[in-house]
Amino acid sequence: MSVSKTTGGKASDILKTLPRITLANLRPNPGARKTERRRGRGLHGGCKSGRGHKGQRQRGNRPRLGFEGGQTPFYLVIPKYGYNEGHSRRPQYQPLSLKRLQYLIDVGRVDPTHPIDLTQLVNGRGVTVQPLKRDYGVQLVEEGADIFSAKVNIEVQIASEGVIAAVERNGGVITTSFYDPIALGILCKPVPFFLRGQPIPKRMFPGEDMILYYADAKNRGYLADSDQVRQARLELAQKYGYVLPDISKDEVHQMLAKRKDPRQIFFGLAPGWVVNMAEKKILKPTDEKLLRYYNS
Amino acid sequence: MAASVLCRRLASLSGVLRAISSTKCISPGTSQCGCLLQIANYNPKPLRLNIKDPYIPDKGSEKTPEWQKTTKYDRKLFGRYGSASGVDTAKLWPSQGELETLIAEEKEWHPSLEEILANVAANEKEKAKKRLAREKRIATNMANMPKMVADWRRESRDLKLKKKEEKARRDLLLAEARTRYGYALDPRSAKFQEMLKEIEKDEAKKRKILKRRKKEEERAAATATDAHTADATT
Repeated sequence: MSVSKTTGGKASDILKTLPRITLANLRPNPGARKTERRRGRGLHGGCKSGRGHKGQRQRGNRPRLGFEGGQTPFYLVIPKYGYNEGHSRRPQYQPLSLKRLQYLIDVGRVDPTHPIDLTQLVNGRGVTVQPLKRDYGVQLVEEGADIFSAKVNIEVQIASEGVIAAVERNGGVITTSFYDPIALGILCKPVPFFLRGQPIPKRMFPGEDMILYYADAKNRGYLADSDQVRQARLELAQKYGYVLPDISKDEVHQMLAKRKDPRQIFFGLAPGWVVNMAEKKILKPTDEKLLRYYNS
Repeated sequence: MAASVLCRRLASLSGVLRAISSTKCISPGTSQCGCLLQIANYNPKPLRLNIKDPYIPDKGSEKTPEWQKTTKYDRKLFGRYGSASGVDTAKLWPSQGELETLIAEEKEWHPSLEEILANVAANEKEKAKKRLAREKRIATNMANMPKMVADWRRESRDLKLKKKEEKARRDLLLAEARTRYGYALDPRSAKFQEMLKEIEKDEAKKRKILKRRKKEEERAAATATDAHTADATT
């Protein structure tokens, strides 16, 4: 083993004697290049090379996708018009019919003695909500409105007038409320979120296109004034011709009166709290600034 | 209805049910139809957490991947193992700097409810204003409509008459040319144009003569009246 006499060691000696790095003496890293596969050689070679018999298939000169041999292709026959414009960005609402809700309650998959929101519905496998696929929640559909007979305090994202009437006729309460995609994901899958150890975020307000829906008492929007909602309930009862049951004298009045804050995602949990599943603990922030941010 | 039917059925079976099923029964008072309501037990997926021997990465070691040294991972560890993870709970919330960026972000992208509502109201107002202006314009134009239609009718009638007259004159000229030369003439030919000029000249002369005669007549009438008045005065 030769010992270098300079202080830099053997490597510095080599570097000094080696030529300067240029394009002429660079080559790809070992393993970076792969030899091109040569068809028609070896075991199965010489015949068709796995490309079948004759024609465009063998020669690889097939016409473009959608080409129909010169006839006007289907994708050009249908004229372009704005009916489907922005379809990939439109919010989707999974339908949940009153019939199915009644079924879920009847078989005990949804508990009507507690307020029903998306978490209950998803846990009862009543609906599947995929926030990543532009789902914004569920819509309650009128199918089965005539057989619906449960008294519930339900929160959905969209409800028609008939549905509202069917729920309120039985002495129930319905609220339509908006969840931004992040809040929706948390609401549908709370456990994976709690395992992330993050504070519960604030729920965002709907955008300008949706806010009028949720601020309208006729839709039982969560941003509507409670007095107006009371008025609208009476009006709807008159319109549909039923006697509105008095909720305030109900034995489950407390359950029926439960409503979420517009910034709240879960019942009983405020934004900014951290829920720990392992220790079954709730951690609340004490910092002034944090509190101000989460409570605003 | 379905519920009531089911409830009746359940009520008859309740004794059996209570004995054999493990479902919990709500007291009759709570259910709406005054009978039994069953709630199925929810069996959540078990949390597969290795709480007895949790993996807590060594922050100082070089072998630990970088992503296991982040705050996000710390929070995850706390979420999984609680205080056994040894994570400072203050780290679960955003730090001062992060909070400031969060607040700035919210200020920029998430206006308050009042602002959104005011914005929407302003937009609606603008739209209503535009619609009203359009409706007003349509109303005024509709009020003017009968007059405009009458104008258009009169104009088109005049145009038709004018065309008819022109055609008649042209036919007359062509007939004139035929009588003059003895054969049908092309209206574009030089001969015809010449004839036209001649005719025009003749007409001009006639008009002049007519004018002069008219003037003379007038003058004569004037002198006669003058003489008459002169006689009267003398």
